[in-house]
Amino acid sequence: MAAEQVIRAEGLRKRFGKRTALDGLSLSVSRGQLYGLVGPNGAGKTTLIRTLCGLLRPDEGEATLLGWRMPSTRVRSQLGYMPQDFAVYDDLSVMQNLEFFGRLYSLRRAQVRERANELLNLVELTDRKRERVGTLSGGMRRRVSLAISLLHKPRLAFLDEPTAGVDPKLRRSFWDHFNRLAEQDVTLIVTTHLVEEAQRCHVVGFLMDGRLLTQGTPDEILTQTETTNLDDAFIVLQEQGQVKS
Amino acid sequence: MTSLAVARNVLRRILRDGRTLALIVILPLFFVLIYGNSFSGSYSDLRIVVVNEDNGLASVRTAEVGRVTLTVDLASAFVAALDPNVFDIVILDDADEALEWVGNGVWAALVFPKSFSNAVVSEAVRASGERKTEFEGNTVTILPSEPVAGPLTKLVIDDSNPLVAGAILAAFDSAFAAVLETQQSSVTVDSLLDASRLYEGEIRMLDFTAPGIIGFAMTLITVMLTAMAVVRERTGGTLTRILIAPVSAWQVTLGYTLAFSLVALFQAAELFLVSLWLFDIRFIGDPGAVILVIVLFAIGLQGIATLISTLAKNEAQAMQFVLFMLIPSIMLSGVFWPLETMPGTMRAISYAIPLTYANAALRKIMLTGHGLGALSFELSVLGAIAFVTLFLSILSMRRQAYTA
Repeated sequence: MAAEQVIRAEGLRKRFGKRTALDGLSLSVSRGQLYGLVGPNGAGKTTLIRTLCGLLRPDEGEATLLGWRMPSTRVRSQLGYMPQDFAVYDDLSVMQNLEFFGRLYSLRRAQVRERANELLNLVELTDRKRERVGTLSGGMRRRVSLAISLLHKPRLAFLDEPTAGVDPKLRRSFWDHFNRLAEQDVTLIVTTHLVEEAQRCHVVGFLMDGRLLTQGTPDEILTQTETTNLDDAFIVLQEQGQVKS
Repeated sequence: MTSLAVARNVLRRILRDGRTLALIVILPLFFVLIYGNSFSGSYSDLRIVVVNEDNGLASVRTAEVGRVTLTVDLASAFVAALDPNVFDIVILDDADEALEWVGNGVWAALVFPKSFSNAVVSEAVRASGERKTEFEGNTVTILPSEPVAGPLTKLVIDDSNPLVAGAILAAFDSAFAAVLETQQSSVTVDSLLDASRLYEGEIRMLDFTAPGIIGFAMTLITVMLTAMAVVRERTGGTLTRILIAPVSAWQVTLGYTLAFSLVALFQAAELFLVSLWLFDIRFIGDPGAVILVIVLFAIGLQGIATLISTLAKNEAQAMQFVLFMLIPSIMLSGVFWPLETMPGTMRAISYAIPLTYANAALRKIMLTGHGLGALSFELSVLGAIAFVTLFLSILSMRRQAYTA
């Protein structure tokens, strides 16, 4: 039996002025999948995520998330979104940030506390939780941002470069966590520039010029590009993409 | 050379930013146009009520033909001497009704007694001695006679606005002088008048401007704070994060409104208390009514600020848009110069400024002790502004999440 399709997007097209950010893109992601979105800078990864989340209206095409046609307000409580910028309150403490966003998901104060402590443990900021976010380093702020995005136990999470600026050791534990979440049937869409991260995804989609050039398991992509590592595979894909356009 | 590179870079960035560039060019022009147009210097549309009971006749003793009755119609001459561009004159029959209107949209009431013409002429002759006049084709000599005892002309003036009251009195003085001149009289105006001021001259310029200044301070701080906060929330990405959560734009807007209303109330309390304590400003009305005005006013201001934040790409632009709003607010809302001194086009702008209504309402409460009943117009306008801007700011809040 085919797994439930958590994301279904058909012919998404989005233009910003003269530039086409999404060029008739279709995508489907099934439940519990850890989906890696890779591609060169400006490929349209962030636009795709924002469009899927309902933050941008596509000029053409439509997307369905968890069975709801976007933009839908119903889906929001089950949606996690970590934007590429930090999107945290610098003037509040780590805990205050978590508490505020937790309250937006109608979590009770005690629930928020409990979840916040779990996630602070994951992002290794337990001892900094009383500090103001503005005093933390960039990598730490990103960790706060990730904690906020996962606070309400979303069933579907979009993480836009969650590990940029995060040190390798912690990066690895993040990905361990992503894998665990996927095992618990949480669907994750993660953008990354790092091959070792793409390697850990169930499915990798290679995006370029607003189109999904290819999609498959890391092994499938290696076979398809006749390469031995994803680094080479992506370079081959990028070159193929440039030849096509 | 490095400084030049920095300067070049700054200028290049300004030139890139269309909105900032437009503001740099337009703002000074806007300022000067408003300034130049709002100080036309002359008043217009000052509404006054006149009750003319004067029969227009003067009974005088002449050397040649004994007692005769001249038709002089001096009260009408007085009314005719008032500049119709300045005054909006309402003629009434009932003196009591006329006096009641003063302070309720009418600046002054004049009641000419039946014997006005007679009194003026006889006083004039008594003061300046016998003189010649034409009567039925002949020249006759009017002789001084006994003083005529009779009621004086009654004048009641609304002095809640010292500037307007002063201007009206000056205009009346010159109209009376013109009338008396026709009678070659050295009689002074004061001897003809039973003048009273509605507020007995107790309202100082300070009292008169205080409500508007407090309102302006609120405008400044509330609009600035709200616009900055919303722009920062958007540019920092937290607004997106809020709006992707299961909350609606109206909940977020309401939250903002609640928070900044509290801030505005606190500010207002501070402004009022310090003004009362240090400067003993006049406050004879109901504090509850003031709070109602302040809350409605503050909600409207926040709505406007949220709309400004939609237009502004960054905090610097938000600041400039706020200035755009503040300049007409202080110059055209009647805080210093009454609306009556502004030309029609400027006054149309005045009526679009929330501070115009807040100022009018606060003055009514603080200076003249009017209750809520007298504020229905101002309160409905402030309420409508609050409602409409709140509604629009909910829409703009929703839009901001998509464009962030």
